[in-house]
Amino acid sequence: MLASEIYYPANVAELLDLMRRRPEAALYAGGTEILRTQSEPYARLPREVLCIAGLPELRQVLLTERFVEIGAAVTMAEMLELRESAVPELLALAIKGIGNPAVRSLATVGGNLASGGRFMDCWPALACLDAMAEIRDSQGMQWVNVNRFAAADGSPDFPKGKLLARVRVPLERWDFGALRKVGAKDYPSRQTAVFAVAARVEKGILTEFRMAFAGEVALRLREVENRLVGRRLPLDLRQRTAIAEEYRAAAEGLPSRLRIQFGTLVDGALEILAR
Amino acid sequence: MPGSGAHGAAIDIALTDLGFEGMVHVTTVRAPVPRGRLRSVTPPRLPAGYRLILPQDIPGRNRIVSFGTEVPILAADRVSYKGEPVALIVGPDPLVADELARTTVVDCEEEDAVLSWESFSSEQVLAKRVVVVGDPDLAFSISDRTVDGVYRSGASEHLYSEPQGSIASFDYDKLAIWCATQWPYHVRDSVALALGCKDEEVVVRPTRLGVHMDGKLWYPSLLSCHAAIAAFLVRKPARIFLTREEDFRYTPKRARSSIALRAALDNSGRLAAIDARIAVNVGAYGPLAEETLSQVCLAAAGAYACPNLRVEGYAVATNDVPMGAFGGLGATHAFFAAEATSARLAQTAGLDPMAWKSLNVLKKGSPLITGEGLKEEPPYEAIAERLAAASDFGRKYACYELVRKRRSGRADGPLRGIGFAFAYQGAGAFLAGDSPNSYTVEVSLEKDLSLVIRTSAAACRESVRSIWKRTAALLLDIPVESVTVAPPDTDKAPNSGPVTLSRGLTVVNRLVEKACEKIQKQRFREPLPLTARSIYRVPRPIKWSDGRVEGMPFDMASWGGAVVEVELDPWTLEPRPMGVWLCVDGGLIVSKDRAEAALRAGAADAMGLCLREKLDIASGQVSEDEYLSYCLLQPAQLPPIFVDLYEPDRHVKSKGIGELPFDTVPAAFLQAVAQAAGAPFFSLPVGPEELSGAGDEA
Amino acid sequence: MTISFILNGEDVSLNARSYERLADVLRQRFGLLGVKADCRRGVCGKCLVLLDGRLAPSCILPVFRVRGREVITIEGFAQTDEYQDIAGGFSDAHLETCGFCETGKILVTAALLERRARPAPAEILDAMASVPCRCTDPEAIIKAVQAAADRRARRLYHRAGQ
Repeated sequence: MLASEIYYPANVAELLDLMRRRPEAALYAGGTEILRTQSEPYARLPREVLCIAGLPELRQVLLTERFVEIGAAVTMAEMLELRESAVPELLALAIKGIGNPAVRSLATVGGNLASGGRFMDCWPALACLDAMAEIRDSQGMQWVNVNRFAAADGSPDFPKGKLLARVRVPLERWDFGALRKVGAKDYPSRQTAVFAVAARVEKGILTEFRMAFAGEVALRLREVENRLVGRRLPLDLRQRTAIAEEYRAAAEGLPSRLRIQFGTLVDGALEILAR
Repeated sequence: MPGSGAHGAAIDIALTDLGFEGMVHVTTVRAPVPRGRLRSVTPPRLPAGYRLILPQDIPGRNRIVSFGTEVPILAADRVSYKGEPVALIVGPDPLVADELARTTVVDCEEEDAVLSWESFSSEQVLAKRVVVVGDPDLAFSISDRTVDGVYRSGASEHLYSEPQGSIASFDYDKLAIWCATQWPYHVRDSVALALGCKDEEVVVRPTRLGVHMDGKLWYPSLLSCHAAIAAFLVRKPARIFLTREEDFRYTPKRARSSIALRAALDNSGRLAAIDARIAVNVGAYGPLAEETLSQVCLAAAGAYACPNLRVEGYAVATNDVPMGAFGGLGATHAFFAAEATSARLAQTAGLDPMAWKSLNVLKKGSPLITGEGLKEEPPYEAIAERLAAASDFGRKYACYELVRKRRSGRADGPLRGIGFAFAYQGAGAFLAGDSPNSYTVEVSLEKDLSLVIRTSAAACRESVRSIWKRTAALLLDIPVESVTVAPPDTDKAPNSGPVTLSRGLTVVNRLVEKACEKIQKQRFREPLPLTARSIYRVPRPIKWSDGRVEGMPFDMASWGGAVVEVELDPWTLEPRPMGVWLCVDGGLIVSKDRAEAALRAGAADAMGLCLREKLDIASGQVSEDEYLSYCLLQPAQLPPIFVDLYEPDRHVKSKGIGELPFDTVPAAFLQAVAQAAGAPFFSLPVGPEELSGAGDEA
Repeated sequence: MTISFILNGEDVSLNARSYERLADVLRQRFGLLGVKADCRRGVCGKCLVLLDGRLAPSCILPVFRVRGREVITIEGFAQTDEYQDIAGGFSDAHLETCGFCETGKILVTAALLERRARPAPAEILDAMASVPCRCTDPEAIIKAVQAAADRRARRLYHRAGQ
């Protein structure tokens, strides 16, 4: 059993420098996704580990009227303890479905977004909310919409070798939002996925409609959403059926149980537009 | 290593916390295939202090005997399930031993695994039961109203409080075994057989048992043999302790069953005939095959009087991991099928489910499957009435039927259903094939008027021990604080049989009572201290032969009903339980709070079976994915659970009630989902694939 | 590597390997058997500790993660008044557990009462998701935590009055 080399950068500058010099090193904050599927007495860790859990710059929360910025090493439990107005309901619902309270005291929002192997619970909500992620490396930083973490084929595509430093979540009014987790709730299996939908209506016109579904792959049809925006409500059965068909067609590649559940989730979401 | 050696009472210590100076660790080398001929076991180069143990190293017999079935301690020539122990690695460092076991090459000539069990060959049959009562063929031919279906119960994991393990250490002239076991004497006898020594040369010191769900009936004996053999060979204390994953994937699971049940009504809506064909998959070896099958067959007609009955049951061996008991020995499988059928029969008869049950439930004197008349009047009417009032069953049932029939689509709201099940738990039910067929309890009244109760069943819950203490205190008119229960060590406590089937409450409590009665008769005539023993011999064991079964299936029975209400989540098509109501007649209830708590916890576990606890065990082995995704329901996911204890007569004895939630809640849940969806279902959990189409306009 | 942290109120330092889990280190190096290493996936709650005052499953914490942090196990917590409140409350409510999950339930209650002096039943059940166990009766655990909250409130009230 080989021991790993553990580094404790004191600040983000040091961290980025370490990342540049040791590109294979793994970032370690909560570590829940690494260790939750290992049951040997010893922990199998990457050869080099950068421990970022306590980095102050990654643990800050900034609340303004229009958005909340959450440091990547802020834990899920800490997010739930923020003022209700600071965390959009859709995101709070996603967080409450993660693990259990003890695990949430370790799991971080950065880890949840940037784990890489699949989409974790926060992504669909943040995608619907059009959250932005600050991505940094030693060359600089940029803000990236979290929707860009899904490739064209729906597979996870978090930028490699970069640091997710903060997540900026717009605080907007939504008239309707719903989130459902399906499949094994405590373990991200093939049958586990999260569905999120948010809608805004003004004077009977649908002004915003966003729907995202993600587990091993992500499903979001922006062109369908864009076509819906501006329509007068309620949508009739024919319109809803046509839209549902488009979504079902896009979900053909999902495992059968997920496909069926995705279909009923879409139906449920479109039902809102019938009112 | 943690902890220090405990040479006194281990019952309050967790096995995982025990350790001894110089202790070695035992890890298991496992079969890589479900079936085949074992050719060789080749370890890597073993460092000094490590050794390999093979079957030929076992000093005594390479067998444990469990309920009449032999199970190898280490597979010698053939492997029968993937993960079966074939060798042991022993050494001072558990991580090194683990790595050595992992890199040991087990060479097997693999054969096609026998995994089919609903259709099976005669070689697979470990036990068969056939009972014919009356003339079912004639009854079916006359009836024009029949229902049939194949009801399946899946495998589940016990998820007991602590993974399994054992420690063996020489203690002067004996070999002491520490393990968490439901049956200390079975461990003792198994280890003695494996070492080729006398029973008295082995002493078992049971550690804290916690929740066991009947998963620690015989397997601790196997692990104890592993530890004992290692201790014997290396002459050091030896510890084997499975990781949770290892335990999950390789120790016995709940048996799977398939019950093809056909039932007929006569013109008045009464049950005219039942034909049940039962297959129980007991996995490899099937140590509990006979008893499990007996329990399922005896309860095949549920709690109903049926004049014409054919039951044909088979316990089928496969190359799956061994499977057997789970919260009881098997009656829950039968009640699941019987209650699901009763709901459909009620519908066919055009009756409300409660009314149909009232018409058909067993009465005092009704012949049971054995021909014996039921000795007591089942409190069906009282239980049904109380449940109906508490849950508003009648109104909801009618309402949900109407709503479902008139519903045009999602916009009309979610679909709901409500189900009701009624069952019994036989007390003092026997374990055929266990020997000796007698159980003993000993009590001693000391000079200071303190009383000590000695029984090997003392590993049970504290609430059960409290009941013994109260029984003794009341009888002898001494303070309950002066009554103690001695540790169930086998050199101190007599053999009271296994801790299962609520024996602690029924058999053992009665023996405590009888022993105390003896003391009471003697105490004013003879000087203290006084010791008395009470022995219970099974009066009329169940006997199966030639299409008949004789004997009394149970001494007495507790009765219970459950109502479950569900709603189908329109978004995910997952059934969401809205409420569970239980009403139980468990005889004399000594502690209402504890009985209610036990029933609520049982109902919560039963709800887990309804919603998620099921293992597919494809290819004969629990996969890593199944292990990682298996979990209990979180408390917040449970519906409100209401418990009503019905005590019509406070002069009867206490009866076991622990199985009743498993006998009733899953069946009631299934019926509720069936009503909500407007279609029958035959197994749990009911998933989105089965429910799609329900709840939508198209 | 050398890891220094505060354990049950005392500064400790040990040579540990990066792959060692905190739960195993606590048990094997410090003899703190109240921490159990069971599932090793953070789901069963038998390894719970307080890490900087917050509940954390020590089985999914590699020991390097606690450098410079404060860890309190049940043994350390048992020295506090808060523990007496909870143990007393559980006893008042006659809560019976299997014996293996009790430590976890106590620490979950401790963390909960720290945040919420009078938690609602739904909050109690949410919190207990960290210690799933077949022995749990939802109603009994609610009563037990409420009884603990009562004791805590009385103690703090008396202390405030002094």
